[in-house]
Amino acid sequence: MVTRSSNGRPWTFYALAAFFTLFVLFLYGPMSAIFILSFQGPNGGLTFPMNGVSLHWFGALFAQQRSGDFVGSFSRSIALAILVLAMTVVISIMAGLAFRYRFACATAVFYMAIASLIMPGLLLGLGVGLMFQFAGIRPAWFSSALGAQLTWTLPFGLLIMFAVFSRFNRVYEEAARDLGARQWQTLWHVVLPILLPGIIGVALFGFTLSYDEFPRTVIPIGSRNTLPLEIWAMTTDVTSPALYALGTLTTAVSFVVIAAALTSIALIQRRRARRQRGHPDARRGGAEALPRTAGVRVGADAGDA
Amino acid sequence: MAQAGEIELRHITKRFDQTLAVDDISLTIPHGSYCCLLGPSGCGKTTILRMIAGHEAPTSGDIRLGGESVVGLPPARRGTAMMFQNYALFPHLNVLDNVAFNLKMRGVRRAERHERAREMLAQVQLDRRFSERMPAQLSGGQQQRVALSRALITKPRVLLLDEPLSALDEFLRLQMRGELRRMQRELGITFVHVTHTQLEAIAVADLVVVMDQGRIEQAASAHEIYTLPASAYVARFMGGQNVLTGTVVTIDGGVATLVDGSGARFATPVKSPAPAVGQEIACCVRRDRVDIEKLRGPSPSPGEATNVAAGTVHAIEYQGSYVKVTIDVLESEQVVAHLADHAFLATPLDIGDAVLARWATEDVYLLTGDLTHPPTGVRPGPLQGRESRSRNL
Amino acid sequence: MRAPQAASSRFTSAPYVLVAPLALVLVVFFGIPLVLVVVVSFFDLDKFDIIPTFVLTNYSELLSSPLTYTLYAKTIKYALIVWAITLVIGFTVSYFLVFHVRSILWQMGLFLLCTVPFWTSNVIRMISWIPLLGRHGLLNQSLIALGLADHPLEFLLFSDFSVVIAYVHLFSLFMIVPIFNSMARIERAVIEAAVDGGASRFRVITDIVIPLSRTGIALGSIFVIALVMGDFFVVKVMSGGQSASVVAAMSNEIAILQYPPAAANAVCLLTIVTLMVAVIMRVVDVRRELSG
Repeated sequence: MVTRSSNGRPWTFYALAAFFTLFVLFLYGPMSAIFILSFQGPNGGLTFPMNGVSLHWFGALFAQQRSGDFVGSFSRSIALAILVLAMTVVISIMAGLAFRYRFACATAVFYMAIASLIMPGLLLGLGVGLMFQFAGIRPAWFSSALGAQLTWTLPFGLLIMFAVFSRFNRVYEEAARDLGARQWQTLWHVVLPILLPGIIGVALFGFTLSYDEFPRTVIPIGSRNTLPLEIWAMTTDVTSPALYALGTLTTAVSFVVIAAALTSIALIQRRRARRQRGHPDARRGGAEALPRTAGVRVGADAGDA
Repeated sequence: MAQAGEIELRHITKRFDQTLAVDDISLTIPHGSYCCLLGPSGCGKTTILRMIAGHEAPTSGDIRLGGESVVGLPPARRGTAMMFQNYALFPHLNVLDNVAFNLKMRGVRRAERHERAREMLAQVQLDRRFSERMPAQLSGGQQQRVALSRALITKPRVLLLDEPLSALDEFLRLQMRGELRRMQRELGITFVHVTHTQLEAIAVADLVVVMDQGRIEQAASAHEIYTLPASAYVARFMGGQNVLTGTVVTIDGGVATLVDGSGARFATPVKSPAPAVGQEIACCVRRDRVDIEKLRGPSPSPGEATNVAAGTVHAIEYQGSYVKVTIDVLESEQVVAHLADHAFLATPLDIGDAVLARWATEDVYLLTGDLTHPPTGVRPGPLQGRESRSRNL
Repeated sequence: MRAPQAASSRFTSAPYVLVAPLALVLVVFFGIPLVLVVVVSFFDLDKFDIIPTFVLTNYSELLSSPLTYTLYAKTIKYALIVWAITLVIGFTVSYFLVFHVRSILWQMGLFLLCTVPFWTSNVIRMISWIPLLGRHGLLNQSLIALGLADHPLEFLLFSDFSVVIAYVHLFSLFMIVPIFNSMARIERAVIEAAVDGGASRFRVITDIVIPLSRTGIALGSIFVIALVMGDFFVVKVMSGGQSASVVAAMSNEIAILQYPPAAANAVCLLTIVTLMVAVIMRVVDVRRELSG
């Protein structure tokens, strides 16, 4: 790094690269183990070696008596995740716009969001459960569980919007106003399209955080489980590779969603990408705009703001 | 009745929190003229532009376009169009949609607005094949043409340009400034162009407005600003002048003689009302009217002669058509002479040479502006930058 | 969070309208539940029925039980160990990505590689360690096959070791992401200036990189500590029931409907977590640096 003069890399590069590789193995190794084991033969067990290769345990998931209500919990999880995604996107964008102004309770709302983020999930679930109990409302996935999950996804959404707006150049809004756009036209035709990669990032967070949420949901879910709760129940009851099959399936769904989100961000970025051999001054034109980093750094934005 | 594109600023003041950005400015920019607001960064020129455009509201005062007050009107209803610094082309729209943006906001059908956008692009001489490109895929010069046509498609009576050439390299800058001037002539509308580059302002503007610290120092034609600066500040900022200050000792036959701190004597023609004896005044002499005489002796002394400064050569810069010689004068400001290159080559100078600089009284011009201005330390201002800038020119 | 130039001078209701949905959700699903937990912690309990009254018995029982202190000590110990490990990992990985990977494309690609697991199920990622670390797991099988061990190592699974491994696996991303982000903002020129000034590689890290990435370090620390302190399922599954944490004990109480003692426990835990976060926020003014 520091010594960039020569072409050779310093020894620290190799040491750090080795560390990084080990870390990636550490991250993905166990996941690939259960991925492989989910294709265990019908007589195979919970550990290696593989006793044949089959889709038996995936089939077992759909036989309800064996491993609980997989289909029901899966569809509930998806429905809840889409609901959370929609609400997170809309509410986060609105809040992000609000925080561009100075207003009276900005600090209070900000700290409430941060507190909501670091509140132990089970405690929050307990509180939401108590609230519904006292109010005499039956907890359900679309009410209490939805609310409990929003306390987790909204702070993330807000933080991403902070990061996104901090890179947004207000001159685009002025240009739009100058060209006769009304306020909502400016928002719809200029601000939102320019921020689209960041908004897709918020959507990705909203979906996956909800789809995989467990500690906040466990108490307020009511009588019908979401998928992570079903898996949680299985960890104590089920001692067959069906558990791994479920893990593989749910991870596959996550990957599809991540891939879809990242691909769309990449496509938008590429559409706007500056030509490499462009005029050097072209770089200055929209350089303060966000396209270069907003989408790619979506993950980064989470912790960022 | 004022013509459509006439801009009148009446006692405009703008404060940002505690900072006074624009200080009681009044100015009339005639219809169909090319006006440059010129000054160092932070002098308030961009704020004025933004107030005309409606992106900023004046703290007090009135802005009139075509004789009608526009304060409080949204930008789009003022008949102005702005070309932003770095252009602010929408990164998510291609060239055609950028240009057609205003028409889209007004509900013009797609086919029609694209047709009109194409015509507009042709008018700024941007090749058709660029119309589907994204802004990031264009060079600086192409981006500027797109920005120009995006602004002009609104059929403005006033076009406001915020540092339009600063994102371009030197070659394009010269080319585009000529084109801006040509566009302005063709369209016959008012252009207001903000810049911090003296040569740019002088090259294009009918009316140059030199600003400093939120105030107008001088508003006049380029030639007048350059040859007859109103104040020591303008003389220094525009460059090309040596500023002389001193106390008036005699006034005789329309010529005042002054003595500066080192005892050197200068003469300047004065008009009525003439300054009084004992008054501190400033005058200036153009650099290309200063002659330099090389001395043999080691200790130069101007003696009792007027319009002579004695000193040693501090720097020699070859500038192509002339040679810029800077002379350190004891207990006084440096004197700069622009010598024709053949004259310089006839009697070459070296750094450290003892020289006498001399000029004729009729080449001296009395400065009327406030001598003590700028009031150092009273308001925040880039004093440092200004001084070094004026010395460089 | 700059105020818009044109709108700042006059009052506008826009921000209040815009922030209302967020504030509403937070008040209803975070504020009120939080207050309820505090209120219920003072309620009395008769077998399984909550009696709305005001008693301090939940707290006195909690604070007089030696088990409480053991649990809190254990939980804080987990939090500190995991914090230290994830901090080292987070810093090293970010440092590698930011300062050693030269191509921006590679940098982003490798960064995404680290963040993808964050978007998948924590429960799945946790249980994925079981077939690896178990008595007949892959690791033990390999060790025996290689002759490095003659019998399966028991400490690998259902132990503090496996709990910490799972925590680090789940939560190190929360450290990497913010540290990477603040490190990526360090101007290369600053580093080069330090090197030109004669700073060694080590001094560049201690004097330039660490101070300039302190926001990320603070945020990551807040995330990791809050997550470990609030965990119950990792410690339940990965310790095989042999260890416990504060929230795990609480979840047992909740399971048998002992809400008031659980709530009292929750209030104590929240106080401690808040204090820890406050200490971090005091060292680094996270908010100011975020909005700047």
